[in-house]
Amino acid sequence: MTDLRKLRIGIVGCGKIADGHAEVVKHLVGAELVAVCDREPLLAEQLAVRYGVPAWYGDVGEMLARERLDVVHITTPPAVHLALTRQCVAAGAHVFLEKPLALTAPESRQLIDAVVAGGRQMSINYWPNFDPPAMEFKQMMARGVLGDPVHVEAFIGYDLAGAYGQALMSDAGHWVHRLPGKLFQNMMDHIFNRIIPLFPDVEAEVHAFAYKRREAVRGDATDAMLDELRVFLRAGDVSAYGSLCSHARPVANTLKVYGTKATAELDFNNRTVVTTASQKYPSAVGRLAPPFQMAGRYLSAAKRNVGQFRRHEFHFFAGMSRLLEEFYASIRGGTAPPISYAEILRVADVMDRVIEQVYPTPVAESAR
Amino acid sequence: MKILVTGAGGFLGKAIVERLLAHGQLDLRCVLRDTSKARALEEIAARYPGAKLDFVAANLRNPAEIGSAVTGCEMVIHAAAALKGSPAEMFLDSVVASRNLLEAVVNEVRPIRVVLVSSFGVMGVAELQRGAMVDESTPLERHPEQRDVYSHSKLRQEQLFWEYRDKYGFELVVLRPGVIYGPGGGHFSNRVGLSLFGRFLHLGGNNLLPLTYVDNCAEAIVVAALYEGSTGQIYNVVDDDLVTSRQYLAMYKDKVKPVRSVPVPYFALMWGSRMVERYSERSRGQLPAIFTPYKTRAMWGGNQFSNAKLKSIGWRPLVSTREGLERAFAAFRAEPEKAK
Repeated sequence: MTDLRKLRIGIVGCGKIADGHAEVVKHLVGAELVAVCDREPLLAEQLAVRYGVPAWYGDVGEMLARERLDVVHITTPPAVHLALTRQCVAAGAHVFLEKPLALTAPESRQLIDAVVAGGRQMSINYWPNFDPPAMEFKQMMARGVLGDPVHVEAFIGYDLAGAYGQALMSDAGHWVHRLPGKLFQNMMDHIFNRIIPLFPDVEAEVHAFAYKRREAVRGDATDAMLDELRVFLRAGDVSAYGSLCSHARPVANTLKVYGTKATAELDFNNRTVVTTASQKYPSAVGRLAPPFQMAGRYLSAAKRNVGQFRRHEFHFFAGMSRLLEEFYASIRGGTAPPISYAEILRVADVMDRVIEQVYPTPVAESAR
Repeated sequence: MKILVTGAGGFLGKAIVERLLAHGQLDLRCVLRDTSKARALEEIAARYPGAKLDFVAANLRNPAEIGSAVTGCEMVIHAAAALKGSPAEMFLDSVVASRNLLEAVVNEVRPIRVVLVSSFGVMGVAELQRGAMVDESTPLERHPEQRDVYSHSKLRQEQLFWEYRDKYGFELVVLRPGVIYGPGGGHFSNRVGLSLFGRFLHLGGNNLLPLTYVDNCAEAIVVAALYEGSTGQIYNVVDDDLVTSRQYLAMYKDKVKPVRSVPVPYFALMWGSRMVERYSERSRGQLPAIFTPYKTRAMWGGNQFSNAKLKSIGWRPLVSTREGLERAFAAFRAEPEKAK
C-alpha cells in the first residue's frame, strides 16, 4: 500500500551540495522540504529563501523538536555525521547522508549501527550509480551480457580550478584539508562504490599510491594536499584499477568493465554505456567493421539520451532523484534500502586502507 | 584617523585606498585575504609621503581573525564581497563575513563609523516601469529569490547593516554603485549582454548603462565616508554622460576587438524569457531558468539614473565617461579578458 502522506524532509548543512538536495527534493512527488538548518543561521536562511522552504533553523535539536521530520538529509562535513545521525534517529527520523559517510570505517559502522538500533533507515548519496546509464549498465550485468567481471577500471577526474576545487584551493582552513584522506577522502567513494558491487564478498587486497602533480604555491595547508591517486585492488578472481586524476582533461568520470563475455564502458558525464565491438570477420575487411559498430552503438546511446531529454529525465542530478525515490519508497514500505549497508561499509573499509597508505601519519583526531 | 578597508586588494578596494590617501587620510589598515595583493597597495602608498599602511591577513568568514583588525580603527569601509562562486560561498563571503565584521565593530569600546559598499542590485527595479528614474528612494528588492544570487546576497548584506545600525546605533553610510568599470575590471556587465553558445547576445539595446569609473566610485565612497552629514544616508553611484549599451558595445568592437554579437530586442527577450521559465518549470529544472521575465525586467528593462544626491555632498567625477572608457578599452586591448 502506498502511503500518500508526503514525507517531511529536512536538510542539515546548507553548503554548496545542499542546493542539489533542495533542487531534487523540490520536484519529488511524495516529499516536501519543510525545514533547513545550519549552525550558521544566515546560510540556512538563504537556502530557505531561495527554495521557498517555510522554516529555517540554526540548531538541529530545535528543528527536530519542532518539525517532526520523516527524513533528514545530512549535508554537513563528515566529521559531524555520526553525532547528527544519532540525534536525528533519536528524534525518529531516517537519514540520507552525503559522502563520505564518516571519518573512518569504524565510525561508519557505528553510524549504521545507530540507525539500525533506532529502527530507522539510512542511505548515502551515491547518486551517479543511479543515473540512467548506470541503471542501464546494472541491467546489462543482470542479463549476463558481460558475463562475469574479470577486471574493472573506475576513473574520476577532478577540476582543482572548478567550482568545488577552487573553494578548497583558496582556503587553507577548508574542512576537506582536515580530513584524514583530504581531497581523496571526499571523492573516492565514487571510485570504490562502482568497483565493490562487482567484487566477490571477500576482503579486497588494496595497493594505493598518490602524489602531488601541481606545484606548491601558497605555502599553507593547500600545498599539503596530494592530487593524483592510483589504486590497484583484487578480491577473489576480480581485479580493479581506481584512479582520481586532477590534471587530465577532459575531467572524465567513467567505469570500464572487462567481462568474460564482453567489455563495456560507462561514461557518467556523457551519459553513454556501450559494449566494445570485437572483430567478427577475418583479415583487413574484418578490421574495418568495428569502428562502424561502435559508431552505431554511440548513436543508439545518443538517441536514448534525446528520448530522456524529451521526457524531462535528463537532469544533472537524475541519479539523485532516482536514488531518493527508491530510498523514500523503502521507508514507506519498510523494505530494504536501495544501497545495502554491507556495500557501504565495504567501500568505507577500502577507503581506510587507501588513506593508511597514501597519508600514513594518523591525523584523524585533528579533523575534529 | 585610522581607517580599516576590507577588500583592499580588490579592483575597487585598491582605488579606495588611493582616494583615501589623496584626501589626506594616511593611516590605513588594509584587510586582505591574499597577502600577495599588498605589493600593489604599497606601490600606491609610495606616491603619498607620510602614508602609513598596515596589512592584516584575514578571512572575514572567520570571526576570530577580525576582532584585532578592527581594534583601534575609527572608521571601517567595507568593500569586500563575493562576485562569484556557489550561492553558499557568496553568502558566506558577503553576508556571513559582514555579520562577523559588524560583531567586531559593535564589540569595540570606541564608536566606529561604518561605510558599506552596497550595490545597485539591492533595488527592486523589476517592479518599475521601463525608463523610470532609479534613485535613492527606489524601494529595496522584494523578491530576491527571483533575482540573481549576487543581488540577493548584496541585499541581505545591506539589510544586515541597517539592522545592526538600528540595534547598536553606530554611524552608517551606504553607497550603491552601479556598474564599476575600468582597467583591471570586467569587460562586459551582464547589462550589456551574455556570451552564449559562442555568440555574444546583445541584450541591453538602447538602455543607459549605470556606469561608474572605478576611481570615480572610490572617490564617491571616500567623499561620503568623510562627509559628516552623510550619516544614515544612502548614495547611488553613477557617473555623468552615461552611454547606452549599444554605444558601449560599438566602442568596444572599435577599440578592443571584434565581437560576434547578435542583438536581441527587448520584446523578443521577454518572449524568450517566458519560454525559458515555462520550459524550466515544466521540465522540473532540466534546463536552468537563466532568463525569466522578472530577471529580464530587472536587468534589461532600462532605467534613468541620478547622481544628484551624491553631487549635493560635493562629489564630482574625477574622470569623464569618455576618458574612462578610453582608459578601460586601452587596458582591455592590452590584457585579454579573464575567464569567468
